[in-house]
Amino acid sequence: MNFEWIQIPYSLLTLFIVINYGLLLNAFIAKIAARIGRRHGIHLFQNHIDLIKNYSLRTSITHGVMFYLGPVFRLGGGVGLLLFVPTLYGSEMFSNLSFSGDLILALYFVFFGALGMALGAGESGHPHAAIGVSRGLSQMTTAELPFALAVFSVSLQYQTLSITEIVSLQQGGFLNWTLFTNPLAVAAAMLSFLGSMMRPPFDVVLAPQEIPIGPPTEYHSSYLAMMQTNRTIFPIAKIVIYMNLFFGGAASWPVFFLKVFLIYMVSVFVGVVFPRFRVEQSIRWFLIYAVPLGILSILWV
Amino acid sequence: MVSPLVLLGTPLGMAFLLGMLQNRWRFASYGITLLTMTCMSLFSADWVLGFASGSLVATDFSTAGAPPPFAISLRMSLTEASLILLVNLAGLFSTLYLKEELLRIGRRGMAVLLIDIMALCGIILTRDIFNLFVFFELVVISTGGLVLLSDDQRAPSAGFKYLIVSQLISVLLLIGIIFAYHSTGTLNIDGMAAASLGLLKGGALAFFLILIAVISELKPFPANGWALDIYESAHPAFSAIFSAAASSAALFAVAKLLPMGGESWLPVVSSIGLVSFLAANLFALCQENDRRLLGYSSIAQTGLVLVVIGQQDILGERYLFIAGGILLAHAVAKAGLYWLSGLLSNRHLTAWTVLRQSPLLLFAFISFIALLVGLPPFPGFYAKWELVHLLAQEGRLAILGLVLLGALVEAGYLFRWFGKVVKRSDGGEEAAVFSVAPIKTLVVFAAVAGGWSLGYLWGQLSLFDNILHTIPVLFALGFLLLERFPVWLKNSLAIVGLVSYYLISYPAYDPMQLIFGTVILIGGGVILLASYSVSGRRMGFYPSAMLMFAGLSLLIEAKDSFHFFVAWELLTIGSYFLILRGKQSEPHALSYLVFSLGGAFLILAGFALAAEGVELFPLSSLSQVTADKAPWVFILLAVGFMTKTASVGLHIWLPGAHAEAETDVSPMVSGILLKAGLYGLVVLLLGMGKQQLYGVELTHVMLWIGALSALLGNLMAVFQEDAKRLLAYSSIGQMGYALFGLALMNHLGWLMALMFVINHYIYKSMLFLSVGGVAKRTGTRLMYQMGGLITLMPLSFIAVLIGIIAVSGVPPLSGFGGRWIFYNAILTAEYRLPIILIFLAGPIAFLYLFRLIHTLFLGQLKDEHRQIKEAPFWLIVPQMIFVACLMAFALVPGVALRRFDLYLNQFFPQGGLNWEGVSITSQFGYWSPVSIMVVVMVIFASLLGWLIFVNRKAQKVKQFNMVFAAERPYRPETTHFAWNFFAPYKKALGFLIQPLATRFWGMVMDLLHTSADLTRRFYTGNGQTYAIHLLAFVVVVYLFSMGSL
Amino acid sequence: MVLIVMSTGFLLILMGLYGSLTNRNILRMIVSFTVTNTGVNLVLISVGYMPGRTAPILDETVAVSEVAQRIIDPVPQALVLTAIVIGVGVTALMLAYAYRLYETKGTLDISQFTELKW
Repeated sequence: MNFEWIQIPYSLLTLFIVINYGLLLNAFIAKIAARIGRRHGIHLFQNHIDLIKNYSLRTSITHGVMFYLGPVFRLGGGVGLLLFVPTLYGSEMFSNLSFSGDLILALYFVFFGALGMALGAGESGHPHAAIGVSRGLSQMTTAELPFALAVFSVSLQYQTLSITEIVSLQQGGFLNWTLFTNPLAVAAAMLSFLGSMMRPPFDVVLAPQEIPIGPPTEYHSSYLAMMQTNRTIFPIAKIVIYMNLFFGGAASWPVFFLKVFLIYMVSVFVGVVFPRFRVEQSIRWFLIYAVPLGILSILWV
Repeated sequence: MVSPLVLLGTPLGMAFLLGMLQNRWRFASYGITLLTMTCMSLFSADWVLGFASGSLVATDFSTAGAPPPFAISLRMSLTEASLILLVNLAGLFSTLYLKEELLRIGRRGMAVLLIDIMALCGIILTRDIFNLFVFFELVVISTGGLVLLSDDQRAPSAGFKYLIVSQLISVLLLIGIIFAYHSTGTLNIDGMAAASLGLLKGGALAFFLILIAVISELKPFPANGWALDIYESAHPAFSAIFSAAASSAALFAVAKLLPMGGESWLPVVSSIGLVSFLAANLFALCQENDRRLLGYSSIAQTGLVLVVIGQQDILGERYLFIAGGILLAHAVAKAGLYWLSGLLSNRHLTAWTVLRQSPLLLFAFISFIALLVGLPPFPGFYAKWELVHLLAQEGRLAILGLVLLGALVEAGYLFRWFGKVVKRSDGGEEAAVFSVAPIKTLVVFAAVAGGWSLGYLWGQLSLFDNILHTIPVLFALGFLLLERFPVWLKNSLAIVGLVSYYLISYPAYDPMQLIFGTVILIGGGVILLASYSVSGRRMGFYPSAMLMFAGLSLLIEAKDSFHFFVAWELLTIGSYFLILRGKQSEPHALSYLVFSLGGAFLILAGFALAAEGVELFPLSSLSQVTADKAPWVFILLAVGFMTKTASVGLHIWLPGAHAEAETDVSPMVSGILLKAGLYGLVVLLLGMGKQQLYGVELTHVMLWIGALSALLGNLMAVFQEDAKRLLAYSSIGQMGYALFGLALMNHLGWLMALMFVINHYIYKSMLFLSVGGVAKRTGTRLMYQMGGLITLMPLSFIAVLIGIIAVSGVPPLSGFGGRWIFYNAILTAEYRLPIILIFLAGPIAFLYLFRLIHTLFLGQLKDEHRQIKEAPFWLIVPQMIFVACLMAFALVPGVALRRFDLYLNQFFPQGGLNWEGVSITSQFGYWSPVSIMVVVMVIFASLLGWLIFVNRKAQKVKQFNMVFAAERPYRPETTHFAWNFFAPYKKALGFLIQPLATRFWGMVMDLLHTSADLTRRFYTGNGQTYAIHLLAFVVVVYLFSMGSL
Repeated sequence: MVLIVMSTGFLLILMGLYGSLTNRNILRMIVSFTVTNTGVNLVLISVGYMPGRTAPILDETVAVSEVAQRIIDPVPQALVLTAIVIGVGVTALMLAYAYRLYETKGTLDISQFTELKW
């Protein structure tokens, strides 16, 4: 696991594939949602178009240095998270930059983008941005807890923190997946997953429909484009971790696409069924339903 | 040598001579009195020196040419000589002090004073019991006279109450004497002891009457209302004699009489002493009058000496050292305080604030308080150390516990008083007048000099080293002499001192000591750079700070429990003074001190229990404590250390103390001082390992405490509006992590704890400095009153930014290393449940960290802050050093940790890290700090380059230019989202941070105060009630002692 | 005989104490104390008395060789003398105090002098 220069183009290739897949996936999901509502929905490449448009906009303002750096942090966090985790199991080509660190690195790097983003939004001086951050952080503390417990449970189970090794220990039939060997941990983690996907019932952080609130409030043009890029990459990067830890990883791109899609759909399904929680409600919900599962999984391993 | 007879005869003769002089020869009379006192003091000093040099042995002097029982005999030995020296010096200085009054009253007053001193000497010297009675009655009569010296209109009533009680006492004494004589046929004390009076028929009752009469002269609780009234109303110079000399003489009389009754009476004496000690200290809590408070304290100290006298059967040859240490410290301090009180016109405790006008008098005041409390390097400290050890060795744990409890209460009210004196405003027009009488001041300083010399003497006499001989302590005390010099000079000297001490001593350190030593000495030097930003002289800062650093550096060098404890006390006192310097810090400093001393007493008890009679108990012997005691020793020491790390439940002192301290003090007490507790825990756990009590694994309990501290500390930090309080609560959480790591008792847990030591020092010091700088510029610490400071204070912003990234553990900075080691450590942990709390605590840190940086530097800039500048240069310098350190430590953590990792192998051979190559690997995972840094930097730089490319022409807009529903915001204050930042979070989890600990400790304090306030009301002020108290006391003690004999 | 004296002594002591504790008037208290003192002195004497012996005065009636058997112990009597002297001193001082107290408040009621308390 040492660095070689060829890993840079390989990593960029991963990035390219994931961005395109993500854009299509988002559009596809939006289209499904529209069809359910008897609407026609967006063009499948609408997200590509939006992104290019936003990157090309030349009217832009800034509120200061941190404001300027916010999207950089945000996207850097997404890209870093994706690249610190091996995308495909058994592929030298798509193990990216995972030599830098193990699972713990990935767990903590999740916060890098969020923190930078929050700082950038803060400098805009818009109170709604700060309100969004306050809500997001509050919700995160308990939403992440079941996942952390599940990760602990899984690393106890496999006695390793290396993602590659965890995946390799799940090979040889789907019954070897953590989903079946440690169902409690996976259940806890999947509940936590709902909380981190910015979809109902846990999307009061952004509250995208009614009022402009949350960190992106003041961002526009290429800033917004960078954040959109991140919104495509980041959920997938996160799903990759879930896939590797709980669902046996993926050895090839088609399997990867399928598993990511299915895991993503979990949050979508839940999102269309349930109404939105207030922050304190979602905190309580995680503490009451998800955390005990995580605790049980720790004790059970 | 002057014969003891002459010693008694001279003042008597001079008193008669004074009676024959003419009234108008006032100065001549005064001269004679002074001369007599001086001669007496010199004579007794001569005796003391003779005995001390070993050229004399204890001798009995017969008065009428015949040996006892046919004549009265006097005895002179080192004890008697020292006590009459004390009495005579008290007399001499009080005579000097009383110059005006004595000249006004004339020769009669002087004669009475001489008689009083003579009678006190007589009580000490005589070996005849009836003679003792006579001297006691002489003291009564002269006291009756001297009480009237006071200007206080209430003094005569106090004197009369005293006379009533003394009538009762003399009845008891006389009847006791005659029956004792009847039983033994002699009046000589030694003769009665030889005839073992206590065992004869009727002798026990006779002895009881004699003993209880003499003990009643010691003002025991509850038969002491009269004494308090005298203390309150008499002239302070007389109170000095009454407290210092009369109590000492009566105590000696008790000690002298006890052999007559035999050893079975010792528990009775101890119990009376203990009850007085506790009750008087309790009642003193509610006092507002300085002299009455001192009176209560006198009674308490006398009670303590009585306890020592009662314990003489186990003290052996250290008996005199212990009793003398407590008695002399008390006498000098109390005399000094009474003399000091005579310089002030107002009797309220807060009136002493005028002492602030004279730093020297303030120094005198604190010296006296330290003497009373028994802090190092004063005699009481050595005495208490040995007393506690001997008590523990003999298993008298109840007495040990009660003595320490009383001492804690005493320290509490004395230091509360000190805090008031230093911090309160001096009351405007009702301000106390402060008389500057050179002679009186001189007398006070004589007491100060006496106190310090006693400290030196007791250090020499102790079984251990003299504290006043250690270089760091001398260095700290040396700053007292430099007080008049400017800050820059003292600061440079302090930094040079710290760094050179490090350079001298670090070759001898093992890796563990090296990490702590570097944080303390080099780290202290870096923080002191910030002190260059202060101008002027900064009185009191350097001695306190250096005392704290002296304690810290001695702590890590300590090899045995005595030196460890000395260092612990020194750093506690030093840091208390430092914390007390903050503007609003008076109550917080007090609660810090009380908790710290409480913890220190637990540590003392723990060491005493562990030592089992070993004089110099090496810390390494902690592993050999016997199995039945080991868990208790462990608990005592662990709780003691955890008061310093502010573990939850014992944490309530920390937020105020750290937040209210001065800008450059906060990082010292937070970044460095907290590590003392961790070091103690390290020593404890290395020595004792895992201990079980009733099947409960104690390290498991510590895991829970650590985890709870981490969670609750973080949670409480989230809801603070005050930036420094936020950081202070965060320290509780961080220390919780470190405690958790240590309690894991595995290799990586300890590595993580040590990494926290370094990390926490760097980032918490940095954050306190930045926030302190911001608070200095904005004039507030409330976060919602700030905002938008990023452009005005960019360097402070960078420091806070780097700091919060490091605290939160986000890669690529050094906090992540700690988290990574933590995960590896818990994978081998035996207990999993406490880890859940730690997991919950982790993300909560983001909440308060974001709040900190957002509400200070981001958001809306306030109008009144538009003109402010970057923090002072010297505050920024250490912050930038810390930023560099954090970066370096993030890149190459191995530099600091690798050696320590190897060192840990000898304690925990399993589970070390592999540091070969770029990656650091454990048995579970890997981590490559350099790669992470490079990858993150490259990604960040590329994306930034891309953004700049597509967004070259971004325009800076004004503050209110934002999407606000097509309106302009009203004002920055209403637009800055900052106050109650996490309201929903409070709604959801606020129930977890009910101030249970605060309420509990508040309730304890209320209970103490209320019960003290209620019980003290039985001192009704009526002389007859006091007489009934005395009779009831006699009856109760009689029943008690008959029951126990 | 001895018993009677001793009982009288103790009775006087108790009477004196009762008087001093129940009378609020300072002068009455002082008188009570002198009664107590008298009682104490009686007790002292009675304890020292040995029936059938003569006074401890060395004259021609008592041969020096028989002194130890013939005379009673002189020490208690000496003690009583001293005690009486001291008692007088203390009583004088108390009376002086009574005067002083009366000067300050114009009353001799002990329960009026309770400004110093607690």
